[in-house]
Amino acid sequence: MHREFICILCPNSCRISVEYEGTNIKNIKGDGCPKGKDYVKNEITNPLRVFTGSVLVESGNFSLASVKTPVPIPKKYLKEIGEITHCLKMKAPIKIGQVVAQNLLGEDIDLIATRKVNIINK
Amino acid sequence: MKEREVIIIGGGAAGLAAAVACKQKGIEDILIIERGDYLGGILQQCIHDGFGLEKFHTSLSGPEYAQRYIDQVKEKEIPFLLNSMVVNLTPQKEVVVANSNGLQHYRAKVIILAMGCRERTRGAIGIPGARPSGIYTAGVAQELINLKNYMIGNKIVILGSGDIGLIMARRLTLEGAEVITVAEKLPYSSGLSRNINQCLYDFDIPLLLSHTVVDIEGNGRLSGVTIAQLGKRGGIIPGSKRKITCDTLLLSVGLIPENELSREAGIVLDNITGGPQVDERGQTSVPGTFACGNVLQVHDIVDNVSLEAEYIVEGVARYLEGKLIKEQEIKVELGEGLRYVVPQKLISRKDTIFSFRVNQPGEKKILVFEDGKKVIKKKSLRRVNPAEMVRVKLSSSELEGIKRLKVRLV
Repeated sequence: MHREFICILCPNSCRISVEYEGTNIKNIKGDGCPKGKDYVKNEITNPLRVFTGSVLVESGNFSLASVKTPVPIPKKYLKEIGEITHCLKMKAPIKIGQVVAQNLLGEDIDLIATRKVNIINK
Repeated sequence: MKEREVIIIGGGAAGLAAAVACKQKGIEDILIIERGDYLGGILQQCIHDGFGLEKFHTSLSGPEYAQRYIDQVKEKEIPFLLNSMVVNLTPQKEVVVANSNGLQHYRAKVIILAMGCRERTRGAIGIPGARPSGIYTAGVAQELINLKNYMIGNKIVILGSGDIGLIMARRLTLEGAEVITVAEKLPYSSGLSRNINQCLYDFDIPLLLSHTVVDIEGNGRLSGVTIAQLGKRGGIIPGSKRKITCDTLLLSVGLIPENELSREAGIVLDNITGGPQVDERGQTSVPGTFACGNVLQVHDIVDNVSLEAEYIVEGVARYLEGKLIKEQEIKVELGEGLRYVVPQKLISRKDTIFSFRVNQPGEKKILVFEDGKKVIKKKSLRRVNPAEMVRVKLSSSELEGIKRLKVRLV
């Protein structure tokens, strides 16, 4: 089977042309760096994406803390994780890297904060 | 009148990087003036990841990227004003600032323009039809959703395939909205390919190239838009009109460098970039006034904004030391295939980074720098796209002794 992939790992957006059977890559062209092959392997077997979203914050200088999964997760879970973030709530102060939720969907998916939020006294 | 060595207008990606770079060059007396109520500018609402790959060799979200610079600004005790708007700038480098303390007057030896850009609106592209609520520019929608916790709609059409529009298509989908389609007037996307892949294709959102919105309906709230296919010359193809029911229209139709202050200060602007005309170190037509980031030229990658800010500070430092010596001035001439070049002129022959955008997508192209008939440098480009800025460095030895400089894409 032949397919063209656009690598999403950096802004170069390499167009990678791949010849494969099942999950076995036979020929690969256009991968500008070693990450390209790993990306394609994942795309064929289990596409991975970093989830980013936001979570409500109480008494912070921002009303939302941005969050992400510290590692890419299976693409099929993105929407479900999005729904979960709607129900979460945090309290300021928040540090970057602080754990927001753990082991979501029983799939070992964590969320960490990506915004520093300071406490404000209203 | 308060005196400062360097005043930086804007506390976003460019302003923060410029401030940190100034301090590293030993410039002590700096002031950042920011009109918003936080530092970091647009990065704070760009909560998706993919920033910092070049600068920090890791993939960061916008707020994380901003925080790395904010931490440095605070650590180095660089002063900044928030909620403070520069309302006037003069060629003598006098700055009038308005904030809750009233008006304050400053004078600086160097001004760094880092005001960023703003979005083109419905008015700028002249979409006919009703004027209901529910029409947002993509960046405003991004601010409302990611900073203000305000959801903008349920059934959404996006016009324009700029990166912010693509990012918002994914964001809105993950927030539970239905993004019906993204329509793009041009026969190619104006966003990065990787964003089309991970923001549209991942969620089966169709991208309609050579399509635009030709009518808007709605009484109070938007109730639908009409889209049509465009022919090769940009005219509407008869019979291609189709109505789409939706409650929200997002516009991602381009960015305009925010240069009202520059204009007031008599700075000469470039009609194509919308930013000031500059020399090889970002100095504008007003000596001692420099520009970097999106106010100079709209960038597609924030890492390049930071790098550009650091790069122009070389010139700032030399100017303050009185060492920015003007040799013979050369205009950088633009040949075929290119939409613009920054810098527009050279006043020395020092190492220079040139930024370009091409006119149209292409493959296997060569960028040629020439001095009259003599080729100074050639650079092959595997693939070019108007959405992707091309940056090329020429060394002082390559530039030494040139009489003219022309660059073209073949």
